[in-house]
Amino acid sequence: MAEYWNINPEHESAVRDFFTSVPEADVVLDFEIGEKDFVNSGKGSAEVKNTLKRLGIGPETLRRIAVASYEAEINVTAHSQGGRMDSYLYDEFILIRFTDKGPGIADIEQAMVPGFSTADDLVREMGFGAGLGLPNILKNSDALHIVSAQGESTRVEIMIFYGN
Amino acid sequence: MSEKRYYHAIQILDDNCTGCTACVRVCPTEAIRVRDRKATIDQNRCIDCGNCVTACQFHAIIPRSDPLDIIQNFKYKVAIISSSYAGQFSEDVSYPVAKQALLKLGFDEVAEESYVTEFVIRIIRDYIRTHKEIRPIISSNCPAVVRLIQVKFPSLLPNMLHLEAPMSILTRFIREEVQRSKNLKEDELGVFLIVPCVAHVTAVHQPEGAYKHLQDGACSAGMIYGKLKDLLKNIQNNPQEIDTYEKGLTWALSGLEGEMAEDKDIRALTVNGIENVMEVLSKVEDHYLDQYDYIVLRSCTNGCVGGCLNIENPFVAMSRIKKLIREGKPFDFDTTELDDLYKEGEFAVVPLKPRSIMELDKDIKTAIKKMKQINEFLIMLPGLNCSACGSPTCYALAEDIVQGKATIDDCVVLLKRHTKEEEQ
Ligand SMILES: Nc1ncnc2c1ncn2[C@@H]1O[C@H](COP(=O)(O)OP(=O)(O)OP(=O)(O)O)[C@@H](O)[C@H]1O
Ligand SMILES: [Mg+2]
Repeated sequence: MAEYWNINPEHESAVRDFFTSVPEADVVLDFEIGEKDFVNSGKGSAEVKNTLKRLGIGPETLRRIAVASYEAEINVTAHSQGGRMDSYLYDEFILIRFTDKGPGIADIEQAMVPGFSTADDLVREMGFGAGLGLPNILKNSDALHIVSAQGESTRVEIMIFYGN
Repeated sequence: MSEKRYYHAIQILDDNCTGCTACVRVCPTEAIRVRDRKATIDQNRCIDCGNCVTACQFHAIIPRSDPLDIIQNFKYKVAIISSSYAGQFSEDVSYPVAKQALLKLGFDEVAEESYVTEFVIRIIRDYIRTHKEIRPIISSNCPAVVRLIQVKFPSLLPNMLHLEAPMSILTRFIREEVQRSKNLKEDELGVFLIVPCVAHVTAVHQPEGAYKHLQDGACSAGMIYGKLKDLLKNIQNNPQEIDTYEKGLTWALSGLEGEMAEDKDIRALTVNGIENVMEVLSKVEDHYLDQYDYIVLRSCTNGCVGGCLNIENPFVAMSRIKKLIREGKPFDFDTTELDDLYKEGEFAVVPLKPRSIMELDKDIKTAIKKMKQINEFLIMLPGLNCSACGSPTCYALAEDIVQGKATIDDCVVLLKRHTKEEEQ
């Protein structure tokens, strides 16, 4: 399995600490994501956003979380055979984990390049496939962790701090 | 801390309320609860959309508007008819007849919202073009939408079109013109709106962002229709020459407002119905609709023709108004004075402020704790969202329990299960 990491230096140690211990979260939200189910895709991230609103998290952070989780959710719908989205709310940040049933990403570094896309016709018809989703996730997250390989499942983990 | 008191044009009559929870289920901001078999409205959450008024079968939720007698407090009385008014009459009653009938009710003069439609579209375009840094601009004409954004989408408040609504612009014009030409003192002139919905009644009594209180009352279109019904025959037989401006009636139909605002450099999106409005606002929040320059949002079906104080079905009313617009003759309304007022910044409004109701707690850590507790209660609850407990969903009940406003025993389904278990 190949692994990709990108961490905002400002939160480097908090992120490392977190991933070595992975404490239990107070609030967990889970959502099934169906293959090519564009009708329901996006509902998981909408639910996360609406939940976070209840916590009084600022609009800019909310936006970053909404954009990053939406893009990742669409990717599972568009490029995989379906999967799930689990969101873990902690006191200072949120971790959103996407796990799918494959077929995996052959070259993660390449998938991260803006404009790179393997989207099929149906996906393009739905208005996706510009190859900007992963770069957008990268831009809006404090930590991005991707584990995948050709023929395997893909795991995408996104961490975003609430800030003040 | 000072709690601001919000005006609302919706009233519950306890004697009529059966506790059926129909209203609880249709409230977009989850403002209604039934406790002890009676509905109550959380005044901080209510946006006066009128959904509950329409949903109540028992006349227990009553729209409030001003009685016609209040116009007698003024020497000179002007009525402004909202554009949707034109769609309320059957086709044998011409629009001029429907308009002049108001004079028989005691008004000295009747003005139409439609006078200023073209002017308003012009200043909206100007606003869109001079605020390029904000996209999309959101129409602020529907008072229920303004309040919805204040309570549920406060991050979008800067996107609101910060200009007075057409009827308020017209009111300013009338105050200047009529007061001068009729030689009236300020308090001798009464200006009243004939409105299609409770949100507009609220907007007259507690305008958001307005610098000045403009109108003296808001009468329900339905109530006016009731009083006119018997007068119409008589007027039809003795019609008077009267000017009407059908071309401007577009304001009653949300789709047409969007189309009129559109231009080579302005892309508009039009949305109506409160559920659709909420979905679109959520997308705007996530920046998925930044490609639009202007978004028209109306809480009611098809726009103001769908208001709960109207009597005609919103689709029939829409079709009638479209016919009037098509057949309307050109009308020259001199806007020089309005243009001057606009240039002087007279139609600008105060930056809109949020009404925060969403946070479970001021402190994020406590809010997360509360959310955890909510989820613990949620697992215990049946998940049927039957609202028999008086809260709209199981989630809302769980939240009410955590906030100390209900107990788990309020769940009827659980109670039934427990009694069954005890019997066995
Ligand atoms: N969950 C996944 N499973 C398999 N492949 C994926 C997955 N997510 C992304 N990819 C691969 O990475 C590529 C780039 O993804 P990215 O989200 O950046 O662009 P896109 O989805 O193709 O287009 P856009 O997101 O702009 O609509 C995809 O085309 C796909 O090949
Ligand atoms: Mg994508």
